[in-house]
Amino acid sequence: MSVILDNATAPFDRLTPEEAESLRGAMDIAYFRPNETIVAEGAAPEGLYIVIKGCIEEREQGELVGLLGPKDFFDSRAVVQGVGVSGFTAREETLCALAPRADVLRLINSNPRFGAFFYSDISRKLEALAQKDESSQIESMMRARVRDLYLMPAAIIDSFQSIASAGRIMRDIDCNALLVRDGERTGIVTGMNLSKAVVLKGMTIEEPVKSLAQFDLVTVEPDDFVSQVLLLMTKYNKRRIVVKEGDLYVGILEDINVLSFFAGNSQLVVGRIDRASTLTELSAAARQIAEQVRPLRRQGVKFEVVAEIISDLNRRLFAKLFDLLCPPEMRDKACLIVMGSEGRGEQTIRTDQDNGLILSEPVDEAALNRFREQFSAALAEFGFPPCPGHVMVDNPLWSRTIAEYMSDFRSWTTTPDEQSSMNIAIFFDAEAVAGDASLLARAKKDLVEKIANERVCLARFAKAIEAFEPPIGLFNTLKTAEGEGDALDLKKGGIFPIVHGVRSLAIEQGLEETNTFKRLAKLAELGMIKEDFARDLARALDYLMTIRLDAQIDAAKSASLLKPATLTSMDRDLLRDSFQIVKQLRELVRRRFNLHMF
Amino acid sequence: MALRWLMRKLDHVTLRDKSYRFLFEPGPPDEVVSIDCETTGLDPSRDEIISVAAIKIRGDRILASETFQAVVRPRVAIAAEAIKVHGLREIDVCNARPMIEIMPDLLRFIGGRPLIGYYIDFDIAMLNNDVAELLGIHLPNPRIEVSGIYYERKYGDAPPGTQIDLTFANILRDLNLPLFNQHDAFSDALMTAMIYVNLKDYVARDIRIARPRIKPSSDFHGM
Repeated sequence: MSVILDNATAPFDRLTPEEAESLRGAMDIAYFRPNETIVAEGAAPEGLYIVIKGCIEEREQGELVGLLGPKDFFDSRAVVQGVGVSGFTAREETLCALAPRADVLRLINSNPRFGAFFYSDISRKLEALAQKDESSQIESMMRARVRDLYLMPAAIIDSFQSIASAGRIMRDIDCNALLVRDGERTGIVTGMNLSKAVVLKGMTIEEPVKSLAQFDLVTVEPDDFVSQVLLLMTKYNKRRIVVKEGDLYVGILEDINVLSFFAGNSQLVVGRIDRASTLTELSAAARQIAEQVRPLRRQGVKFEVVAEIISDLNRRLFAKLFDLLCPPEMRDKACLIVMGSEGRGEQTIRTDQDNGLILSEPVDEAALNRFREQFSAALAEFGFPPCPGHVMVDNPLWSRTIAEYMSDFRSWTTTPDEQSSMNIAIFFDAEAVAGDASLLARAKKDLVEKIANERVCLARFAKAIEAFEPPIGLFNTLKTAEGEGDALDLKKGGIFPIVHGVRSLAIEQGLEETNTFKRLAKLAELGMIKEDFARDLARALDYLMTIRLDAQIDAAKSASLLKPATLTSMDRDLLRDSFQIVKQLRELVRRRFNLHMF
Repeated sequence: MALRWLMRKLDHVTLRDKSYRFLFEPGPPDEVVSIDCETTGLDPSRDEIISVAAIKIRGDRILASETFQAVVRPRVAIAAEAIKVHGLREIDVCNARPMIEIMPDLLRFIGGRPLIGYYIDFDIAMLNNDVAELLGIHLPNPRIEVSGIYYERKYGDAPPGTQIDLTFANILRDLNLPLFNQHDAFSDALMTAMIYVNLKDYVARDIRIARPRIKPSSDFHGM
């Protein structure tokens, strides 16, 4: 409501109206001309500054670490600790509202929720956000309607039909319940009713289903809310609700459908992949994998976990496809690998397929070619876009014998070009999904040894972390907060540097883990990086990947590009924190591999 | 200008209550007061103040923590048009004090500091009705018109025939300041203060406000 203090934004939304009013009454507004120092590095801040107009540079040891625009505030940590690490300078004419430190401290002490914001480090701030996320996700689910859910078919039989024929129909339509018409009334009979009748009551399978059916149907309309379905199921203790549109039965809603809408139904997909015996069946299951992402995210599941579930499903799918297509004589001589983000288990929304084949010895060329083509074509049909760099089984460069790979490694480690570094990165992230996994283990061991013997190779490899300038420069858009087309590249600016920095350290240590989060845990265990830094990095990566994933779910054209102007100030704050962590990692990698020598 | 100086001299002599002599002494250096009134209507000879807000500015800092704010009970009815502007109804002001009782506190708050405002002459004319009744004088404080500084910074060197826009919203837009809750005395005084510190810096550094060369032919909002 007020130009001085917007108490609709975090953390001021945690103040009571009286507290907000008292803080507002204590605030002044300060004007700064360009290049004027607002808070010097290491100085005691007068209070908490909230930007009204203009743009402010945040610097650490003279180096620019962030840009702040309207509604951003600084420096919460300095206010608590009495002295700040960063210095703040006006980049242009700037007006800031200033909440005196004493008043902010008083509120921090008297209002624990407000105080928590100031005391929390980045990790805890992120967790607070995740929780808020979760409640809003569930809220949006409760507003979903029955028509949004997957319904079982509503097949109708007559009450005089036999138990045997009901059982057959259930099997044919892959549904565990049938509607039963008995004159004017309609009931329902389930597979469990049929079994109990025969096993427990000793009925013969020739008897009609009429006596087994229950005629107390509970019905809803497609436009009803899902929350209502949950209430009805609880109230009437029913596992199935019938969906009716006017006089027409449109489907049966089982509790499992409702649950899977909330939780995703990855377990069902696993079963479907395992049971598939044809490409068509596998294709149906493959498409369901992609459908898991949205409900999982909607549930507020962290990126790391979503990625784990999805990559597990994908790997099962690849393994099954390998089983279906691989000629028997090749089976023991081949290892199917997934690489890149798929290998790290960090691909959720399908962006491309990075896969390959390692053979223990040369095999029949014609059979191999057939397999290569069928495999890649099937994946494309399943909805995995082909890899732009053509890192795919149907590319002979990525499906060859281990001996050929090893001779490639020699040229990768000695040729100082970008392609070589890229190949190393892709292959080092490989994970075996089918066939003889020891082939990959041997190949990777060889690669790591060759890299270790080429001293400059690893430094050249790690150098890529410097390929993209810190994205905080792009925060320029914040100064107008109107998003003039300037966007922030999450992938280049944050995700890639973390993944690649961690990968460089992982190669140096010869780690077997491929997943970045697992590599981080291992590196911390080995004492390569401090435990809390590893944790902050993991949280930052999880945060960056989560916002990218959410953007991908929203089907943005380029989900890696993010306009800071569209973010809340809380998100911008977290982004800045995340990018600062990325910067620290860049520094660490730079020192570790002496990158300044290049 | 000479007339106002003469009036000031005359007022100084005729000041009934000598305890208000501080109005004629210069205030603390580098301090001004941003002031805004909401009124029953737009005619200073007939209408009255119904709310007033004053904010001190010291150098580059707007002392929003040191403000004077009051709602006033007017002796005349509030015009319907005015209610639409500031949203204060009879019922909102009936429990307030009359301006004549509020004025001494306001005068002590502003002291001899220059007064700044947007169309400040109107606000001062409104205030003068009550100052005259109380002390038999006019407000002697120097006045600073923000739209005047803005005009000089933007149009001072403009060729004849340039379209001139001195609306409050336009000034805020040019200075990239948030438009906020206009026609609330405190918000208006605060926005005026922000305009002032910004323009004062422009004058000090001799920065001019750019004029668009051509008028945009269409507005792309909502496209």
